[in-house]
Amino acid sequence: MYQKAVAVPNRLGVHARPAALIVKKAAVFGSEITISNGIEEVNGKSIMGVMTLAAGQGTELLISASGEDEERAVEELCSLVSSGFGED
Amino acid sequence: MRDRYPEPGDMTVRRLVELIGQKLLITPVAGETGYSRLVGSPDINRPGLALTGFTHRFLHDRIQIIGETEITYLSSLDQEARETAVRNLFQFPVYCFIVTKGFEPPAEIAEGAAGCDCAVFRSPRDTTPLIHDLTGYLSEVFAPRKCVHGTLVDVFGVGQLVTGRSAIGKSEAVLGLVERGHRLIADDIVRIRRTGEQLLGTGDAIMGSHMEIRGLGMVNIPVLYGIRSVKDRHPVDMEVRLVDWTQKPDFDRTGLDRSTTTYLGVRIPQIVLPVLPGRNIALLLEVAAMSFLLESRGVDVPAELDLKLIERMRETPGGG
Repeated sequence: MYQKAVAVPNRLGVHARPAALIVKKAAVFGSEITISNGIEEVNGKSIMGVMTLAAGQGTELLISASGEDEERAVEELCSLVSSGFGED
Repeated sequence: MRDRYPEPGDMTVRRLVELIGQKLLITPVAGETGYSRLVGSPDINRPGLALTGFTHRFLHDRIQIIGETEITYLSSLDQEARETAVRNLFQFPVYCFIVTKGFEPPAEIAEGAAGCDCAVFRSPRDTTPLIHDLTGYLSEVFAPRKCVHGTLVDVFGVGQLVTGRSAIGKSEAVLGLVERGHRLIADDIVRIRRTGEQLLGTGDAIMGSHMEIRGLGMVNIPVLYGIRSVKDRHPVDMEVRLVDWTQKPDFDRTGLDRSTTTYLGVRIPQIVLPVLPGRNIALLLEVAAMSFLLESRGVDVPAELDLKLIERMRETPGGG
């Protein structure tokens, strides 16, 4: 199990398009991936789950993975979130 | 391969009479030796100006329609002038003449036609509706067309062209749709022709109502499911491309980004649907058709959901 926290930097937060980017990236890895906003924990490969987090700007997300590629999965997902998904 | 339309290269005056003579109510007047002439264009021409002697821009490679205007003009001339007027027309290799509104063609036209192997017909029908029916039919004959490897099915009125590699399960999926009451237009080979901005799909006259199901061989759909299960033609409204589920899927996860594809210059929505054991493709095709119907009425479900989510995040900043 590997985990890391990252803050959502973009103005609109994790709405549909960023959520799609997260689950597409997560689907690349074999590890089980979960994302938590401190209240709810969802499957990182489920777009409905990621959208349910309603992670607005500034929300701290805890990304956890367990499996063979857990470290790379968490690092890549964290850098995707901290990049702001290409949004302002 | 049979089609309900002749190939453009086979469209002679004789075929025209056979195919839509009854609809146009045309009967031969003269020039039956001209039946083998090829009709090379779906357009028609009114030869009024050419009758007056202005043949500079005369569109001879058209079916010539002689209506009330031309007849009235010709009958206003004396015989010599009338002969000259008609001679102006027959110096060109026109396809054929149709005299409308039940007028008796002047004797000069019948004689001129017989002299140069050009067929003349008459019809009791009014000029404009006759032209509509004639050009409507010919436009379909001459429409741009192509054959596509796929299956066309009418799902809730939406024409779905299901494509994908051989043996990916197109026919099985469509069989599922037929089972659920939808209608098969063509399996395996879909003929698409463009009429205006619409794509119209048909199947082969004999093969169209059969499907090959691997392991079962050829099945006859209307014999199994009744006449309601098949249809001769339907517009192609959208394409659903079935693809193999790969290790790194890059499929649309939201429905926000719509892709399109183009057939014969007409753009239609395209959905790329990954196939996986256990996925009920027929069910998914039904949902795709219903989504298409919603979208065509201006309902954009993914965008609406996205807006609601953004609104929720705005109300509870910092998450939760």
